[in-house]
Amino acid sequence: MGEIKLSESLREYLSRMPDLDLDLLLEAYRKPLPTSFRVNTLKMDEHEILEMLKEKGVSFKEIPWARYGYVVEHGSIDLGKTLEHMLGLIYIQAPISMLPVEVLDPKPGEKVLDLCAAPGSKSTQIAQLLNGLGVLVANDISFERVKALASNLQRFGVLNVIITLMDGRKFPRFARECFDKVLVDAPCSSLGIVSKNWGIARSWSPEIAKRLSKVQRQLIVAGFDCLKPGGELVYATCTLTVEENEMVVQHLLERRESAVLKEIDLPSLRYRSGIVEWNGIELGKELRKTVRIMPYDNWAEGFYIARILKEGSS
Amino acid sequence: MKLLSPRERKFLENRLKSLYGVEDCFDDLVLIKCGRGRIRATTKETLELASRLRGIQQIGLYVMKISNGDISLSVEGSQLLDDEIKNNIIELDEEQVEKWMKAIPIKTEIAYRGRYVIGKFNRLYLGSARVSRGGLLYPQIPKWRRIPIAKTRNNMHSQLP
Repeated sequence: MGEIKLSESLREYLSRMPDLDLDLLLEAYRKPLPTSFRVNTLKMDEHEILEMLKEKGVSFKEIPWARYGYVVEHGSIDLGKTLEHMLGLIYIQAPISMLPVEVLDPKPGEKVLDLCAAPGSKSTQIAQLLNGLGVLVANDISFERVKALASNLQRFGVLNVIITLMDGRKFPRFARECFDKVLVDAPCSSLGIVSKNWGIARSWSPEIAKRLSKVQRQLIVAGFDCLKPGGELVYATCTLTVEENEMVVQHLLERRESAVLKEIDLPSLRYRSGIVEWNGIELGKELRKTVRIMPYDNWAEGFYIARILKEGSS
Repeated sequence: MKLLSPRERKFLENRLKSLYGVEDCFDDLVLIKCGRGRIRATTKETLELASRLRGIQQIGLYVMKISNGDISLSVEGSQLLDDEIKNNIIELDEEQVEKWMKAIPIKTEIAYRGRYVIGKFNRLYLGSARVSRGGLLYPQIPKWRRIPIAKTRNNMHSQLP
């Protein structure tokens, strides 16, 4: 196995992070992510699909934190080339990546906005939980990525969806207080999924995190403004930096009085609370309610998740 | 994108009935024309919200294409109609379904009515194939969702442009 290289600035940054074990992190980066998938109950009964996979020699176990989620234990076939995948009976998605939508918990009948939706893993998951009732708006800024998003939503068989191509920061101009739930799965420096691409760790710099943080701050405020009073927003990234996570949420809490952090309860999953002090700056204590998942916590991806309520009644 | 007029919808229902024996189709859904004979289906609520948004690329699900009165159902279109489809169905075996999803032509001895036939494997509908005069079925599986064909010495030359 080759040796993973971190940029000097990343090594220095990570060494300053509280509650982070750099050796374990490097070990997690070296390991490939587990193969996991969701079963599409919009198209077929869950057990029937699982039987089809078993007949192909795939063995799997339930992912405790995600409805319809399974992780492959044994099986030599490439799931991405199976009939079940091509027909949209399963959706291949990494296990922790299923978590933000579980925290958002969309209910049938709700209007849900996925502000940075491509390639559509979380959008299809939202659509599945809406179960054909309510509306999903799946937006992305990139034309190329919207094409992948559209293909995935088609394959998944989603009827109640609107796909939009636009800068998510402009969404409140015409969709203010329009949605019951909003997911902001923001573009990030991806330090939680380095095992997919070691190049991320080699090329990381604080400037990248700073630049992304600016966009993320604008996106979270835009997403929040699209929420109806009483609605909920989930902010998520697959990175570890405080600038892209806690400081983004802190920015929203300072800008919008009606934004209130809610507790996240994740049984059967290892995680830690959000960071409340960084570089000598005190962040809000309520940021402890947000969740950090290190890649070595569950030997899967690293993620950050915050759940925010918009106070008031619609 | 434009809604299907009541006249166009009636025409479509009649064609689905005569080609595939479909009695009830998309009753509670809105049908939208989206160019070159393509039809998408969605819910009324989705359409209402869409009237408020900008930058819309697509609404709902692509279900079929109409050309010269013939109807080619997409995979999802056929799955939505499900057991409403009574005629022009080919039951595929495991070997044929593999070919179908690779868009490889399938030989058939049966004469079908119309230019298209619907594929079915166990309980799953798999969209349409075009019927050729020579008795070959050409599955209409879009490139992006075909099972890739493994390259062997025998088929390498056919992969070339």
